Amino acid sequence: MSRDGWRKKASEDDGWGGRGGYMAAKVSKLQEQFQKDAPIERQKDGKSTCIFSGVAIYVNGYTDPCADELRRLMMLNGGQFHLYYSRSKTTHIIATNLPNNKIQELRGEKVVRPEWITDSVKAGRQLSYIQYQLYTKQKGLNFTSVCTLGVIDSASSLDPAKPSINLVQSDGVQPSKDVLKSTNSTEQINHQLDIKLNGSHSIISDENAGSHRMNGIHNEDDDNFCAPLPRGSRDPLLTNGYVHAVNGALKPQDLTEHLPQVVDAESHRPNNPLSGQNEKKQRSKHSCAGSKADLHQRPPVEQHVPYNMQNEPQPKPTCNPGTSAETSNLQNQTSKIRLNGSYHTTSNSAHADSSKQSGRKQAAHGAEAGIISEFFSHSRLHHISTWRSEFSEFVNTLQSRRRAAGGAVFSGKEKLRKLKANCHSGFSMPAPQVRQSCIMHVDMDCFFVSVGLRHRPDLKGKPVAVTSNRGPGRVAQRPGADPQLEFQYYQNKHKQYRKEKIDGDFEMTPSPQSEETSSNGVNLDQTALSMAEIASCSYEARQTGVRNGMFFGRAKQLCPDLESVPYDFQAYREVALTMYETLASFTHNIEALSCDEALVDATALLAELGITPDELAGAIRADIKEKTGCSASVGMGSNILLARMGTRKAKPNGQYFLRSEEVDDFIRDQPVSSLPGVGRSMSSKLASLGVSMCGDLQQLSISRLQREFGPRTGQTLFRFCRGLDDRPVRSEKERKSVSAEMNYNIRFTQIEEAESFLTNLSMEVQKRLEGAGLRGRRVTLKVMMRKAGAPVEPAKYGGHGICDNLARSVLLAHPTDSGQLIATETIKIFHAMKLDVKDMRGVGLQVQQLEGPHADPSGHGSSRGRSIRDMLLARQPVHGQNKESLAQDGLSNTSPYRPSLSNQEGVLPPQSPPSTLLDPIAGTSKGELSNPHTPNHVRASLNFSIEVPSPSQVDQSVLEALPAELRKQVEQSWSHREERPSTSFHLTTSPRITSTPAPMLGTLILQIPNQSGQPSTTGIVLELPDFSQVDPDVFAALPKELQEELCSAYRNKENAQAQSAVVEQKNQFPQLKQPAVGKTKRRYKRKNASPAKKGPSPLKKLLQTGNSPAKSSPSKIDPLPINNQGLKTENVRCPSSPSTNAPETLLKLNPRPVPTLAGAFDFSDIRTLLHEWVTTISEPMEEDILQVVKYCTDLVEDKDLEKLYLVIKYMKRLMQQSSESVWSMAFDFILDNVQVVVQQTYGSTLKIT
Amino acid sequence: MATLTRQDLNFGQGKLCFTLRMLPIARNSVENPIRKKRWSFAVVADILCEFLEVAIHMILYVREVYPSGIFQKRKKYNVPVQMSCHPELNRYIQDTLHCVKPLIEKNEAEKVVVVIIDKEHHPVERFVFEISQPPLLSISSDTLLSHVEQLLRAVILKISVCDAVLDNNPPGCTFTVLVHTREAATRNMEKVQVIKDFPWIVADEQEVHMEEPKLIPLKTMTSDILKMQLYVEEKGRKSCG
Repeated sequence: MSRDGWRKKASEDDGWGGRGGYMAAKVSKLQEQFQKDAPIERQKDGKSTCIFSGVAIYVNGYTDPCADELRRLMMLNGGQFHLYYSRSKTTHIIATNLPNNKIQELRGEKVVRPEWITDSVKAGRQLSYIQYQLYTKQKGLNFTSVCTLGVIDSASSLDPAKPSINLVQSDGVQPSKDVLKSTNSTEQINHQLDIKLNGSHSIISDENAGSHRMNGIHNEDDDNFCAPLPRGSRDPLLTNGYVHAVNGALKPQDLTEHLPQVVDAESHRPNNPLSGQNEKKQRSKHSCAGSKADLHQRPPVEQHVPYNMQNEPQPKPTCNPGTSAETSNLQNQTSKIRLNGSYHTTSNSAHADSSKQSGRKQAAHGAEAGIISEFFSHSRLHHISTWRSEFSEFVNTLQSRRRAAGGAVFSGKEKLRKLKANCHSGFSMPAPQVRQSCIMHVDMDCFFVSVGLRHRPDLKGKPVAVTSNRGPGRVAQRPGADPQLEFQYYQNKHKQYRKEKIDGDFEMTPSPQSEETSSNGVNLDQTALSMAEIASCSYEARQTGVRNGMFFGRAKQLCPDLESVPYDFQAYREVALTMYETLASFTHNIEALSCDEALVDATALLAELGITPDELAGAIRADIKEKTGCSASVGMGSNILLARMGTRKAKPNGQYFLRSEEVDDFIRDQPVSSLPGVGRSMSSKLASLGVSMCGDLQQLSISRLQREFGPRTGQTLFRFCRGLDDRPVRSEKERKSVSAEMNYNIRFTQIEEAESFLTNLSMEVQKRLEGAGLRGRRVTLKVMMRKAGAPVEPAKYGGHGICDNLARSVLLAHPTDSGQLIATETIKIFHAMKLDVKDMRGVGLQVQQLEGPHADPSGHGSSRGRSIRDMLLARQPVHGQNKESLAQDGLSNTSPYRPSLSNQEGVLPPQSPPSTLLDPIAGTSKGELSNPHTPNHVRASLNFSIEVPSPSQVDQSVLEALPAELRKQVEQSWSHREERPSTSFHLTTSPRITSTPAPMLGTLILQIPNQSGQPSTTGIVLELPDFSQVDPDVFAALPKELQEELCSAYRNKENAQAQSAVVEQKNQFPQLKQPAVGKTKRRYKRKNASPAKKGPSPLKKLLQTGNSPAKSSPSKIDPLPINNQGLKTENVRCPSSPSTNAPETLLKLNPRPVPTLAGAFDFSDIRTLLHEWVTTISEPMEEDILQVVKYCTDLVEDKDLEKLYLVIKYMKRLMQQSSESVWSMAFDFILDNVQVVVQQTYGSTLKIT
Repeated sequence: MATLTRQDLNFGQGKLCFTLRMLPIARNSVENPIRKKRWSFAVVADILCEFLEVAIHMILYVREVYPSGIFQKRKKYNVPVQMSCHPELNRYIQDTLHCVKPLIEKNEAEKVVVVIIDKEHHPVERFVFEISQPPLLSISSDTLLSHVEQLLRAVILKISVCDAVLDNNPPGCTFTVLVHTREAATRNMEKVQVIKDFPWIVADEQEVHMEEPKLIPLKTMTSDILKMQLYVEEKGRKSCG
């Protein structure tokens, strides 16, 4: 209202136009006043905090305390108070009661009760508003107290598809007092009913008052919800396709009884809208509230029934007035009683679950806006996962606060220091001299259980499980479900994994089904068991075989005296926060892993305090125990991997320092599945290789691993199984994706439902993007489809059952956080996938390639910005971060700002590498050029350039490969096209065709295994064609030295005819370079043997890792190409590399492998690789150079001169710009060798300008 | 390996205006009934010859072998190309390619080379189309051959800008077309002369030899039916030649 007026006024010429209109001016003035008043108020009050910094509230309607008081509170506590609501600026709306249309309007906003503010002030910190939300039901964290039916009501009240008639009514625009009164009376009835109903559930939450209010409002909605005819067809529960069996029976009956009435009322009494409405109201009451009333037979029903009788006969239709209506009503009621009764029996056995479910019952109904946020506000997994980011955020703020304050007070640290000082007063012990990095992995012991037991000392020492189920663990089987089949499926699936997998008794949380099937043979009556999962169980319970993630029913079988404890999210939160605060009191180098575990980089801390890791761990654990009452285990090691491994050993309630000396022995006996990233599928794959322990894994060569698992994973495995891990503890994290996913209770019947569901999901994603302040470019739609042949109804109620997972993604032109845009794109993809909506079981939306809010509008700035930040952040973990930045956006692989410690970086002029993106070249296609991800765009650019004949005909790839200066010259040459300045490309003198220098040539032999004798010449013989095939002309054309060399080569060749034949063949099919592999191995061994050496020297580390990319035996693939793997697929159609795909079948019948350099074959990958190589290493390794030569030779043989040309030119630019003369020499060497080969093949040498 | 040549007519420098008939894309119009096995090779040969015709015209234009006046702008492969409108030149090119086609059909042509020769008949530039065909063709995958067309277009575009990487030719150049055949293709060819009064002859040493050749790769294309790379060999010192 005010908003509308504001808009209108702003558009009028009222003299305020310059300031954006009168209202804008007023708002800003109010803002100023508020700012001005704040300090005064604070002074007056004496105490002030900033707990509400960033919060801007808008008070809507009557509140207690009043708006003025709230304003004062906000002033005092660093918040903002808006007198006028602004959707963009206002963060929270404070209200105690809102009319229905406002609820509609404010859907998606944070509407919070005023208690949130007062309680926060009381608590001295900003509490989570979720507790105090007005409409998303404060019981979000405490499912058990949710009244099932109430939830349905409230959920349906948010239905946007609802006819608008209710809006009119609730606004009170209705002229008839009668109607209003009747509305009120039903409302009241409903209030009471709901309270009663809540009471009838044995769980009475202390928030009943809240629910009362809430229900009142929603029931009012329900009254208004008397949709005329369309209601029947619109009924969410009907269109749902999947309904709880009992409800499903209930609803249709309801409808069939009532529908005719409505029709009649409408058609026969058009003149009496009032009575018609009344009737409808009653009908709705019957369908919604009436059923409850009947069930409990409370007095209000009596009130209600006479009322019914009074009104009903009036509008009653022709045939059988009065009685028929009544009887039908009665019938209705009785049937409902029965149905509801049965409903309750089921809900008793699984009531916790069902309450949760009921909250989501209509989740599948896409039209239900807000249902998604509802789902997420209920999902415990969602809660836990958001906590992680919350705690990450917490750590981040700690960091920034410390920076702002220029230092922080670490109470824990001070305490330790004192302690230490006391100890040392007696005997001074020299602080250990050699400091190596020490990472601590702090993990609470069965977190949920121990938190749950804090106030239940009686349960201590007993087997306890945290789960949503409280009953005996049995539920009635639902029709349509076929748990048997699912069990078989999972069992079969699991068997594959299980073959050789060792089932250690360490803590692990595999998929519940698999664990279950493996651990029991008596699941025949499984069908009746509760499928509620166990979130956590105590160590006592674990002894009986109960595992985390197991279904409760099954666990109860295993351990009959298993006690269940309900979720208590608030407590988890508190404890987790306390834990983080405790950790933060020691150091801020914390990485939040989840709500109950964190990584601490204690290196600096230990050095500063001069204590041992064990002492520190002890102190931390004691502190946590004291503050939270829960025990924590601490694992320590020189890197994250070892720390995590240590934790396994430390549990429960202990600490373990995995010393570098014992790493080798320790890790050898660890099952591979204990390595991070090794899940079921990978361990089964490993098992098929005969690997079950890390020791076995160590036996595999890196090349083998990379072949099996892909380059990156292979290398990671290779390193992990040796206890090597260079991931840093990252206290500040960047998000890589924002997503929302729902695979619970997705049952669509029509495509429209799926569409609107996607729209809503997009809105949820938008909310999250906004929350994180990010925008993304890549949108991925993930869909779970029922696997063909799987039962329509999964064993778990509302679960997804056995599914196929599908995913599609699309790249947007600009980064966005607009839900609308995401929705449109998503729906497009969705249609393209052509799925049967009925079989959809889960939908997820993910947004990747995120950018911060300050990103350049061009989109390029951000990638660069990230790289710069990387550079600043990067100390030792250059590679890891590089990888990520690369993975995040392909752009940065051309970014010149690659962090590097080598000197050459400085020499490279910042614009010299191919940062084509920023240069205004080839006009139209520029935008597309920057975007290697979309083949479509690339193609479009091709078409573009075609229309304009001259300058734009330049091959993109060539242009791209040119450095900026050169490109400028090209441009100039284009602009003077008539003159044809032929010199523009002749920057250097003609290439040398000299023979290879003798000493270097010697090294060439390394390349050829099994070559005996003829040291200086065999390297060339390799490439020689048969003598008879030598074109004499060609030979004559060779420079003198070369001729001589060839002659001698042929002479030697005669001696070793047979060998050369073999060699020739070898050469055609590039083989693994044995010596190189050997070397790598040796190096790793060396590293492995002395991890201590791998100290904090970042240079050394970098060099070691830096070497690896270029140390490129064909199979040993370094991190680089992997990053581009994602790109690669998309780059295939990029004009620069049309010759990438599919092994060529040449003249020979057997397919010839595409030549690769360290696994990379795409030109952009090669370029990245080379760039990495040249910029990160100061001195090239011999074998690397030879590898490059080999690659070039392969290119010649593959008749891909174009690529060869590009590669050579790129290397030339890179290496000759390098400050190290070694690089120039290396290039000369490579070029010379390539020229020889080209000469032999084509009779001429490459013209390198 | 034998190198065959077709000496071209030395055209005068007159202004000639004729419209050039653009060949329709004749994918299936194979005149001779060919054995089914060979069918797809025939298609490839058609495509390739058509492309070579366009390419030769482009080369002649870009390398300024003939005055630009005899060229007209046309559209082929959806890009602008220059085509000679001199009937005799066109006839010559067409005849040449007509003779090349049987070789390509049998997969016997290894290279088709457009040689630009100076007044003394020494080659100064060679545009080498190195052709290799996969032994088994599968045209069905891309019935409209749109992918091939894109690749060919890229090659044409590359030719149109190749003057940027090449030195200027001395004045008074002319051109010839060489075909490098595989194995004993020549002998068969002598038996089956396609056009009786237009025979292939084995190239002279003089026409093939080039001093200090420099190789400039222009484009490599790879498709299901054809792998071709185009590179230019340039004489080391053109100006003095």
